[in-house]
Amino acid sequence: MSMTQEEIEALMNDTSMADDSEPEASEENIDDILAGIDGIVDDGSTTEGMAEESIDDILAGIDGIVDEEPQEELSNSDMDDILAGIEGVVDDTPAPTPIAEAPKAPSINDQINSGIYPMPVENEHKVVNQLNEVAEDSEEKASQIFDVLSFILDENDMVSKNTVKVNEFLDNQIKLLETLNTKFPNIDVFSQNIDQANDIKVSMTEISNSIDAENNKVFEAMELMQFHDINRQKIERVMAVIRKLSNYLSGIFADDSTKAEVQIAQHISGDGQDTVTDDDLDSLIAEFNN
Amino acid sequence: MKILIVDDSSTMRRIIGNVVQQLGVQKGDFDEAEDGVVAWDMLQKSKYDVILTDWNMPNMNGLELVKKIRSEGSSHKKTPTVMITTEGGKGEVITALKAGVNNYIVKPFNAQTLKEKLDPFFKS
Repeated sequence: MSMTQEEIEALMNDTSMADDSEPEASEENIDDILAGIDGIVDDGSTTEGMAEESIDDILAGIDGIVDEEPQEELSNSDMDDILAGIEGVVDDTPAPTPIAEAPKAPSINDQINSGIYPMPVENEHKVVNQLNEVAEDSEEKASQIFDVLSFILDENDMVSKNTVKVNEFLDNQIKLLETLNTKFPNIDVFSQNIDQANDIKVSMTEISNSIDAENNKVFEAMELMQFHDINRQKIERVMAVIRKLSNYLSGIFADDSTKAEVQIAQHISGDGQDTVTDDDLDSLIAEFNN
Repeated sequence: MKILIVDDSSTMRRIIGNVVQQLGVQKGDFDEAEDGVVAWDMLQKSKYDVILTDWNMPNMNGLELVKKIRSEGSSHKKTPTVMITTEGGKGEVITALKAGVNNYIVKPFNAQTLKEKLDPFFKS
């Protein structure tokens, strides 16, 4: 006997009411309700509580059902244990000889710094360019040094001119004081001032002499600045030799053939430690074949 | 006394100018040129009493300048010329004298040497 529509609706209402006020109806309640409805029979088809083993048993009983669940992979050590347990099985694979790790190649900068490779051919590394720069820089600095020396000469010249003025003044003062001293020989101040003025005059002469000596040294320094011009010409001579040598070497090493460049071998037997020995070779082949 | 100093090194021009000043030449009485070409142009425009020139210079060297002055320099054909150079070989000195140089100074020189070489021109 099947459920009528009213009975189903009543059941639905009962469930929705339960949603509003009470916790969700448990499975037992539903079973009770269903038990009260005619025609509803519990055929025990629920799978709840069924052990996995029983499912497996059921599946095993059905033809064509295959368990596709992947088997846990055996590790190498498990395999070795298993094999060790089987009589007659002997591990005859030779243990691979460990190959020494090749030393880390030094960077290109390290090789340039240690002189293995030359500097890259850039403008700042070209010898003639560098020499030219040295000559020009030297000229500029020599000119600046000359400016400093000229300044000292100009200042000394100014001091010398002022010294002359002071000397002229002192001479006049001494003349005046001498006249006064002659007219008033009893007044000591005049004679004392004459002595003082003469002392100052001596000091002024010493200052003038010092300035002259200083100027001579400055002139000497200016003469020594000729070293710059001579050195520059020596550098230019070296530059000329390098240019000629460069042209000569370019001519000697110039390759006029149109033949395509062949790739060159990186390591040739006998080069040194970079090449593999026969043993290394066998070990490598064996390792890669495994 | 007007002097023309010809040298491609600005330092050398200043050194020579300084010595010339010590001889009593005023700053405005000497001019400078950095090579033979510039010097030749200046010789066309002004009159100089003495020419002091280097040998090795770009564009036109001192020897070429002296030869040009002696052959083409109408107003400077007989202007006293002193070569001041690093070229110290006997052969070079002879070459310069043959070209018409009046005196020859090898660098580095001291102020006294230049004074002695210029004195005859100052007196005349």
